[in-house]
Order: sequence, then C-alpha cells, then structure tokens
Amino acid sequence: MADYTNYTNREMQAVTIAKAVKNDQIAIVGTGLPLIGASLAKKVFAPDCTLIVESGLMDCNPVEVPTSVGDCRFMAHCAVQWPNSRYVGFQANEWLHDDDRLIAFIGGAQIDPYGNVNSTQIGDYHHPKTRFTGSGGANGIATFVNTIIMMQHESRRFMKKVDYITSPGWIDGPDGRAKLGLPANRGPQMVVTDRGVFKFDEKTKRMYLAGYYETSSIEEIIANTGFEIDVSRAEKIAPPEPEVIKMIREEIDPGQVFIKVPKE
Amino acid sequence: MGKVYQLSDAIAKFVKSGDHIAFGGFTTNRKPYAAAYEILRQGQKDFIVEAGPAGGDWDMLIGAGRVKAYINCYTANSGFTNVARRFRKAIEKGEMLFEDYSQDGSILMFHAASLGLPYVPVRFMLGSGLADEWGISEEERKKIDKLPNKKFIVQDNPFNPGEKIMLLPVPKLDTAIIHVQIASPDGTCRILGDEFHDVDIAVAAKHTIVTCEELVSNEEIRRDPNLNTIPGFVVDAVVHAPCGAHPSQCYDYYDYDRDFLKEYDKASKTDEDFNKFLDEWAYGVKSHEEYLNKLGAVRLINNKVVPGLGFHRDMTKEGK
Repeated sequence: MADYTNYTNREMQAVTIAKAVKNDQIAIVGTGLPLIGASLAKKVFAPDCTLIVESGLMDCNPVEVPTSVGDCRFMAHCAVQWPNSRYVGFQANEWLHDDDRLIAFIGGAQIDPYGNVNSTQIGDYHHPKTRFTGSGGANGIATFVNTIIMMQHESRRFMKKVDYITSPGWIDGPDGRAKLGLPANRGPQMVVTDRGVFKFDEKTKRMYLAGYYETSSIEEIIANTGFEIDVSRAEKIAPPEPEVIKMIREEIDPGQVFIKVPKE
Repeated sequence: MGKVYQLSDAIAKFVKSGDHIAFGGFTTNRKPYAAAYEILRQGQKDFIVEAGPAGGDWDMLIGAGRVKAYINCYTANSGFTNVARRFRKAIEKGEMLFEDYSQDGSILMFHAASLGLPYVPVRFMLGSGLADEWGISEEERKKIDKLPNKKFIVQDNPFNPGEKIMLLPVPKLDTAIIHVQIASPDGTCRILGDEFHDVDIAVAAKHTIVTCEELVSNEEIRRDPNLNTIPGFVVDAVVHAPCGAHPSQCYDYYDYDRDFLKEYDKASKTDEDFNKFLDEWAYGVKSHEEYLNKLGAVRLINNKVVPGLGFHRDMTKEGK
C-alpha cells in the first residue's frame, strides 16, 4: 500500500492554495504549483470555481498538466479561446464593474512586508546579478486583481526592500496604492510558502504570520524571514487528508511534472 | 506577382537588417521557428524587437547577436527553461539594449497598433519598477529612430482629472512573421485555436510573412470564411512550411517536441554548446526541408496531436 501520510511541504503548499479558492470564484492560474492547487480546488474544495489563464483561455479544464499558460493542454479543453488583448480588457473590466470574482496566483523571487513582489531581476536593473523573465501577466494581475502570492520561504527572498517591484502589493501601507494611482480596493490577500501562511493586517497592510505547517515552526519561520514579523496570531495548520495527497499524486500530477513524490 | 514564396525568398525580400519586427505565437506555442532559422542562415541583424510573450525563437536570435534593442515582457520556454538563457546572459553581461513592459502592456501596444491608434492609455504598470526604471534611456532612444523617445508618459486622465494614467507608445512595425495552420495563395489565413496577438501584428506591420502548415486553394479557404481571421491583402508572402513551428506547438497539428526543447535548454547554457546547437540545427542545414529530414519522419509523426485530446499522447499504450 502506498503511503499518503508522508506529505511534502510542496504538497502542503498546493493543498493550502486549493483551500484558498472559493466556489463561484474565477481563478487566474499560472503553471506549476498554482495550477496543481487550483485543479485540486476544482476537484475537492470548490468544484464550482472556474480557471482562466492570461493567454486568453477561458474556463480551462486541462486533462494533462500544461507546462505553459499558452499550452494546447489548456487550449483544447476550455470554453473560449480569447486573444490576449480580450483577457487584459476582461481583467480591468472586472475591477471597473466592481465585481469581486477574480482571484489570482502570482509568484516571484523576492517579497517585502507589504507584499510587493519582484520577478524581474536580482541586483541593479541595468547590471543584474540574476535576470528573470520579466513581468508576463503578473503586473496587470497585481494591479486589478486580489492575489495569493506563492513564495519559497528563505530569508534572502523575504526582505525589507525588494530590488524591483514587478507586481505592486500594498506598496508601503494602507494608502500606498491610492497614492500611486493603483486600484486601492485590490491587493495581496495571502502569501503561501513552503513553511506557512501570511496574511496582511487590515489596518497597517503589513504581513503577519497567520499559520504554520506542522512540519515547520514559528522559530523556523522567524529565522527564514528577512524582516520583523508579527507571529502573535499564528496558528498551527492541520495536515492534509491522505485522500487529498492521493489525488495530487495519482490524478492531478501523476507524471510528477511539478510535485515530486517522496521516496519511500 | 503572386504571394507564394519559398521561405528563403520571402525572408530575403521582406526581412532587412535594422527592421522593427515582431513574431506571433506564445512562448512554446505556434512560434515561427522555420522563419527564425532562415533569418539566422541569411544573416539579417540589428533588429528592434517587440518580443511579446517570447520563447526560444527570440532567445536564439539574441544568442546569435542579431538583436539591437529588445522590448521584453516575458522570455522563456516555460516548463523547459524557466528564464531563456541567452536572453538572461545578454542582459546580465550588458550585451544588449533592453526594455521591460508588462505583458498586458505589450499586448495592448500591438492591439493599438492594429487599430492605428497614436498611443494607449492604461492603468497598470503604475507604482511598479516598470514605471521607475527605463531599460533604454531617453538619450539612447533618440539615437534609434525606430523607438519612441519615451518609454511612457504618466499624465492625468483628461476625462477624469486627478486620475493618473499611463500612456504607452505604439510600435510602428516594419515586419511581422506569423505561423498559421492554413493559408491560401492569395494570403488569406486561418488560425486554429487561440490567435494570440498574431492578427494584430499582421494588420499593424508594413510587411507580413505567413508560414503555414497547409496551403489550400483560394476557393477552399472561402468555404468557411467565419474561420478566417486575416484577409490576403494584409499579407505580403505566404510560405508553405509544414511543421514550421517546430519545436513549439501547433494547435490541432502537433505538440511541442519535449526532447528538442530539453536539448535546447542544455545547449543554451554555454556559448560553446549554443554555437554548436546553431551549427547543427540552423547553419548546418540549407533549408526548412533539410531541417525536417534531419529530425526524421518518425519523430515528427510521433509528435502529432491526438484528436479529442488536443495534445500528443502515445495511444498505443492506452488501455493496457
């Protein structure tokens, strides 16, 4: 019998994402962990949610794990194949109509206490130590849509000031977005890492630790966060149900494209 | 003069060094690779590139030193190479002029170009590094007549004073190259699956080259005009290039070539291996047909999509 209690932090991260998606929400997914999480949400926790991707594919139901948001695995199993420009317009119109249906997953290399995310470069913009792809759809998403941010939890990634803001979060506090002309009623809702979950204080819009996995600890999280963090509200998060882990391994990512199964 | 060309003739006639140029497709889907390889062979360079969601197509041309200024929003063979390696190296070593927009920005800039608009007012990019940093300074831009002098302008919305908006410039494209599933000799095109930004750049560019999987008769393509999205008169050259998007995907026809994309991932890690890769797959073959022969019939056939699935799966192993 296969063991489904030996879950990994990455699987825990996927399950945490999945539980964050609600029925009736339209989730903007990328590939990788967000897609695994959103697929799991659709199968288990929020069967009525809808998945869309920034290339313009609407209501996706991939039967095999796609590697890109423009992948034929999304394209062949969706309701509408919009050109990119329509997607961009839809995303802005959801905000203009004051609809609160969209939720998006974005990731990056660095994040600061206000959820500003860098996925452009490490070091100086013109002479970077490490250059990444650039914004892709993330900047537009972070402008108009409430986000859940996926991060690897290391102190070099959780820093006081990021090298470049690709995706604006709450900028520097409660009026940060309005000051810069960004929709003030949108922004990061949650940060899901491989150690725990952060939320943003309603008044200060600063990140606080909301929960930690039983495979991690508050001490470990403090040690791996490069800025001061309020841990007074942190709760231990229950481990995932073995049936859910079984579903990830056998139905959602059987080829282990994005999540490796631990060796017995 | 007809519009049907050999690939080499179309590229020689409509792609010039220094062109302001854009390709269709999306990272690993329907990228005009056959045309990109032919450009590599012919030697055109100094391109001002509006890259859109780019992959190995532009990464190869960057690596071969053909790009003068690269307008980026995202460059990767997603799922195979997290950040395109020649792109990354060119920026890290300071070897290439580059600029960043968000993908929404690049896409709307293409769309506005197709609508003939002077600029695009948007609400994104505000408050981000995209607004703080200019990859190419105003001074440098003034030396390149194909680029606008400013990356963007922030001003008040004239219809809603007090609201800050970002104005993005609209590219004046010399050349667009797209790969489609079906075209006819008069240039009419049918794209199956998502069109991405391909129709926009085809309309916006002074010259458009189309490579296609199938070249059907003008009568045949008119049997179902609601499936056609590009009329022939915006197209300058039609090239019959089956598998012309290899190693990327082509909806309803073939999947990405995983082994090839993995090989490119490895090869693009070092200058030496990258040059060997180009020697083998671009310079070492005379034509697209030779490239296909080198890949081999079995490899290409084994990558066809399975009807009903829309991607490749080895159906001989199903149900065992």
